[in-house]
Amino acid sequence: MTLGRQSICLAKPQYSVLYRHAAPMGSTAKEEMNKFWDKNVRLNRPMSPHITIYKWSVPMMMSIMHRGTGIGLTGAVSAFAMAALVLPGSYPYYLDLIHSLSIGPFLTGLAKFGIAFPLSYHTYNGIRHLCWDFGKGFKIPEVYSTGYTVIGLSVLTSVALMMI
Amino acid sequence: MAALIRLSSVCRRGVKPLFYQSTLLVRPLAVPHKHQEQPYLLTARIHSSQALYASGSNSAASLHWTAERVLSILLLAMGPVAYFSPGPVIDYSLAAALTLHGHWGLGQVVTDYVHGDTKIKLANVGLFLLSTITFTGLCYFNYNDVGICKAVALLWSK
Repeated sequence: MTLGRQSICLAKPQYSVLYRHAAPMGSTAKEEMNKFWDKNVRLNRPMSPHITIYKWSVPMMMSIMHRGTGIGLTGAVSAFAMAALVLPGSYPYYLDLIHSLSIGPFLTGLAKFGIAFPLSYHTYNGIRHLCWDFGKGFKIPEVYSTGYTVIGLSVLTSVALMMI
Repeated sequence: MAALIRLSSVCRRGVKPLFYQSTLLVRPLAVPHKHQEQPYLLTARIHSSQALYASGSNSAASLHWTAERVLSILLLAMGPVAYFSPGPVIDYSLAAALTLHGHWGLGQVVTDYVHGDTKIKLANVGLFLLSTITFTGLCYFNYNDVGICKAVALLWSK
C-alpha cells in the first residue's frame, strides 16, 4: 500500500482517540489561561524575548503611549484626589503657594505642556480607538495616517494650551 | 523514540510491515499514555462544565466591553460641557466618569500583565481601593473646595 492509503488507514477507530482528544474542551478560556500561566511559573520558564528583539513600529509605539498616558493620567487624578483628602489647606491656598515660588514662564509653560500633552494624546488616540471599535480605519495605510494625525493634533493642541 | 527503534529493526524486513505493527497503529504520538487503552472513556473525562456551554452564553465580558466604550464617549462629551458650562453637576459627573474610566482602564492593564489567581485577586483589590479613594477625594474636593472645573480654570490662569 502506498503512503496515501496508509493515511486513510490511520483514520480507523483506533485513531478516533485523536478526534476524541480534539473534542471541544469543557473548561473556560480563563481556566485554560490560568493553567498555562501556572505551568509557566511552576517550570520557571524564562520569557521569550519580545520587545527587546522585535523591530519597533509607529503603531506599536502609539499603542504603548496610549497605555502609558492613561496610567499617568489616572495616577495624577488619584494623587490629586488623595492630596485633597490629606492636605489641610484649600486649593487656592496651594495655588498661591506655587505662584509665590516664582517659577518663571519657561518652566510654567513646560509644566502646562506636560499636563496638556498626555491628555491631548490620550484623547485623540482614544477617538482613534473608538473608530476601530466601530470597525473603521483598519487598513494599514489608514492606521498610519490616522496615527500621524493623532500625533500632529496632540502636539498642536498641547502647544496651543501651553500658550493660554 | 519507539519509531526509531522500530525503524532499525525493520530495515531488514522493509518499511511496509512497519505500518502493520500494532504499537505504531495504536499509539498516536501526541496523546498522553493513559488514553491509549481506553479511547472511549475519554468522552467521560471531558470537563463537566460542558453543560455550561450548552445552556447559553455568558455575556458579562462583552457587556463590560460595550460599557467601557459608552463611558469613553460620555467622557468625551463632558469635556466641552465642562468648558462651556462649569458647575457642580458637571463636577460630580466628571468625578464619576473619570474615576470609572481610569478604574476600568487599569483593570485591563492588570488583566494583561498580572498572572496567577492570588496575584490577580490582590491587584484587583488594590485597584478597587485606589479607585474608591480617588472617587472619595474628588467628591470631597467638589464639595469642600472649588470643584474640578474651577480648579482647572484657576490652574491654567497661572
